[in-house]
Amino acid sequence: MNKRRPNPKRVPDPNEPLWRSTLRVAMPLNLSYIPIGLACGILLHAAGFNTLLTGLVSLLIFSGGAQFLIATMLTINSPLLSIVLMLFFLELRYALLSSSLSPYLKGQSNRFLFIFAISLNDENYAINYLKFATDKKWTGKEALLVEHYSLLFWAMSNVIGSLIGSALKIDLGIVNFALTALFLYMIVMQIKNRLTVVICLISGVLAAVCMMITKSTLGLVISTIISSLIGFGLETTLRKRLPDSHWLWKLRGPGAKQSAVESSDGK
Amino acid sequence: MSTVNTWTSTQHFWLIILGFFVAFLPRFIPLMLFTKREIPEWFNEWMKFVPVSLFTALVVKDVFIDSKSYQLMFTQVPEMLAAVIVIIIAYRTRSMALSVITGLIGVFLLSMVI
Repeated sequence: MNKRRPNPKRVPDPNEPLWRSTLRVAMPLNLSYIPIGLACGILLHAAGFNTLLTGLVSLLIFSGGAQFLIATMLTINSPLLSIVLMLFFLELRYALLSSSLSPYLKGQSNRFLFIFAISLNDENYAINYLKFATDKKWTGKEALLVEHYSLLFWAMSNVIGSLIGSALKIDLGIVNFALTALFLYMIVMQIKNRLTVVICLISGVLAAVCMMITKSTLGLVISTIISSLIGFGLETTLRKRLPDSHWLWKLRGPGAKQSAVESSDGK
Repeated sequence: MSTVNTWTSTQHFWLIILGFFVAFLPRFIPLMLFTKREIPEWFNEWMKFVPVSLFTALVVKDVFIDSKSYQLMFTQVPEMLAAVIVIIIAYRTRSMALSVITGLIGVFLLSMVI
């Protein structure tokens, strides 16, 4: 989102209605949901979901990763419990996102928090977190509108994707790579210091080993728990023993105005 | 991806309902609790590593693990190369849509060549 920062010289029109000013903030995200939502709808259709259920899953679960995962796991005939367990671990990251937004939503009613939580997801979180941190006038009301715009675009693209999927024959192996690309993107966005890169490597090796041993996607769950605990342990120890270890140095991508940090470390 | 799933729409519906709960509770409970009291430090520090660990595990599964035998495979060369392209694009542009679209085009073109 950093690149699409509006021109700082442009003064926002105080008379601009709320629905329009928030739509302007949400628009880059809305547009980027279209191709991904289409791909997701196509895959869900291929996994046997009808168009109505595709709309429902987009409204109720509203998570690109989770919906792609459902589609993939259905095509390899995973049992229900295994899918739900995988979803649980995939969605557990939202605990982190909503904890970090909570300071800005103090004093809101439980009803508001309920509605806010339903339509929270990775990308609208990123927008709202940035706005809350930088814009004093940004309140829960604006944040909720941004969430609803993104939800609307997401659900629509999914439904249209489902219709495209029923009309055309599409190579699913290729569309399926959309999920891998989405996860790769999210990994890159998560990398904050060199330690995270190490945790990535550990997690990758552990995941392969655990899946080969368990012969199921349960290996993913086990390896995620182990490597996140290793990361937690390593960082806590490093902070305590070697507070200026170079493993804790920040890595910043070119998108965030990078100084002289080696770009080769980002991989 | 050739096997066709045999679930009925009713089963899909229940999957969505269960999925809703596991998707909703992690978003709602922390919001409920931490708008009223402070977040415990260790919880935050631990949770910080969950996404990166899980995403890496999922990528490894998609690229290097055979979905039927669960054995390691190094045969998906187009996917491996496209993954490197996606990492570079994501790192340089920080754009989700651009990363996904380049990845799709990349894997499409590479699988025609290789």
